[in-house]
Amino acid sequence: MSSSGESAVAPWSPVATWVVRGLGIAAAVALAATVWLGLWVTPPDQVQHNLVRLVYVHPPIAWVALYLAFGVAAVSSALWLWPRTRSRFWDRLAASAVEVGTVFTALTLVTGSIWGRPTWGLWWTWDARLTSTALLLVLLLGYLAVRRVPADPDSRARRCAVVALVAAVDVPIVHFSVDWWHTLHQGATVLNANLSPTIHGSMAWTLLLGFVAFTLLFAWMLAIRYRVEVLSEHVQDTELDVALHERWAEGTDPVPAEPGGALV
Amino acid sequence: MWRDTVLVAGKDLRIELRSRVVMHQVVPVAVLMLVLFAFALGPDRAPMAQAAPGLFWVAVLFASVLAVQRSFALEAPDGARDGLRLSGLDPAGVFLGKTAAVALQLVVLEVVLTAGVVVLYGSHVRSYGSIVVAALAGTAGLAAAGTLYGALAAGLRVRETLLPFLFLPVAAPVLLAGTRAWQAALGLGAGNVGSAGDPWVRLLLVFAAVYLALGVVIFGPLQEAS
Amino acid sequence: MSYIDAGYAIAFGVLAAYAALLWRRRQRLERSASRPQGHSAP
Repeated sequence: MSSSGESAVAPWSPVATWVVRGLGIAAAVALAATVWLGLWVTPPDQVQHNLVRLVYVHPPIAWVALYLAFGVAAVSSALWLWPRTRSRFWDRLAASAVEVGTVFTALTLVTGSIWGRPTWGLWWTWDARLTSTALLLVLLLGYLAVRRVPADPDSRARRCAVVALVAAVDVPIVHFSVDWWHTLHQGATVLNANLSPTIHGSMAWTLLLGFVAFTLLFAWMLAIRYRVEVLSEHVQDTELDVALHERWAEGTDPVPAEPGGALV
Repeated sequence: MWRDTVLVAGKDLRIELRSRVVMHQVVPVAVLMLVLFAFALGPDRAPMAQAAPGLFWVAVLFASVLAVQRSFALEAPDGARDGLRLSGLDPAGVFLGKTAAVALQLVVLEVVLTAGVVVLYGSHVRSYGSIVVAALAGTAGLAAAGTLYGALAAGLRVRETLLPFLFLPVAAPVLLAGTRAWQAALGLGAGNVGSAGDPWVRLLLVFAAVYLALGVVIFGPLQEAS
Repeated sequence: MSYIDAGYAIAFGVLAAYAALLWRRRQRLERSASRPQGHSAP
């Protein structure tokens, strides 16, 4: 995919532009509605009072981070590694999903912590969900670190795909073992996000809206990040080509040969 | 594949026997870690004995990073890695061979560390059988995952700092399960029953199986990364 | 500031900041990608 000779990356088709713009607008509207409903319209919970309002934010963000973003990253990586479906598209998609997913994962931990502090008096606890989310964050950062190492696109994609797959295998193992850890350990308290037994009415709708809103936001961010990935690869290729051209130009210039002058 | 495994394992181990890097550098560092833990937790032996299983496995984890780095440093000079790739050896065999060599070195280390834990922390081993099984299963998993990541990081100039960052999170379940298994074998930990270590040993075996399988499949394609 | 407000503020603040970052990165790249070769300084 060397870009020698090309001067620009193909812009998005009108359909694609329209879809992405639609996603962005829908996401913004849905998020605004979620905030309005979540903070003002919905009633306080019987058990958690106003703290329940974070349920419109934290679980949706967690869903995006742990299942949507990570899922896309893992599946894309697998599709890239599988020779029959290999295509640059999957590598770029995986990288984009990982970066966006990292932001969401970090936010999952932060919002969860903020929710946990007033609810249970703890900023942190080592239960299965929190622990495996924290580990996922570290694994995602590892992916990003490997991504930054200079290498040809193929090698880089290969390494990153392996990191993503290993992470996909490891996170369930961690979750499972920490869960076991607690159930086998006598006297452990298992903390659950205990809402009142039934969540109904406006709260349920707002929760659903929250999930939809953050999913739309993820989709929009993924699209933009993907575009950024395509463009930055092109710019790097172009810069490499420019540098090469300048180098070759030096070699073919009819400069009078100096004694011991530059070799071709 | 198995023939290549033995070949590569033999080569790595012979180099180790001749150069003794692991024996003379990695093992002492791990034992030193035990000593430093004592400074951190002491002077009473009780907290040390209580923490001994975890400390043992932490030391093993760090030593495994060093062992894996060493394993791939063997091929760093002068295109030895390309030589290995072009030699026609089955990549799965290369993976298993390197894993086996690392695992064997780690087992030797663990014997030393066990003695260290018993001597320095006053731990009493109630059941040697389960300790051995847990250690072997855990070591196999660590060696497999480590070799896989070692291959990934090999040849990258940032290898030294990247490998621990990539590998240690993945190794976390081994630390968790190994510690629990050892706690049971040493008669420590709340709610300890004789067989309480069994589920953990099973987890270690699953972990080892998963990463051995993953490594066998992925090592070949990974080698193509320049 | 209550915990709820802090939670909402941090969540939306970070996401908005990241979105803005992505948007600006994209704009900069679109511009430099459409520049003809030889003008972009390596």
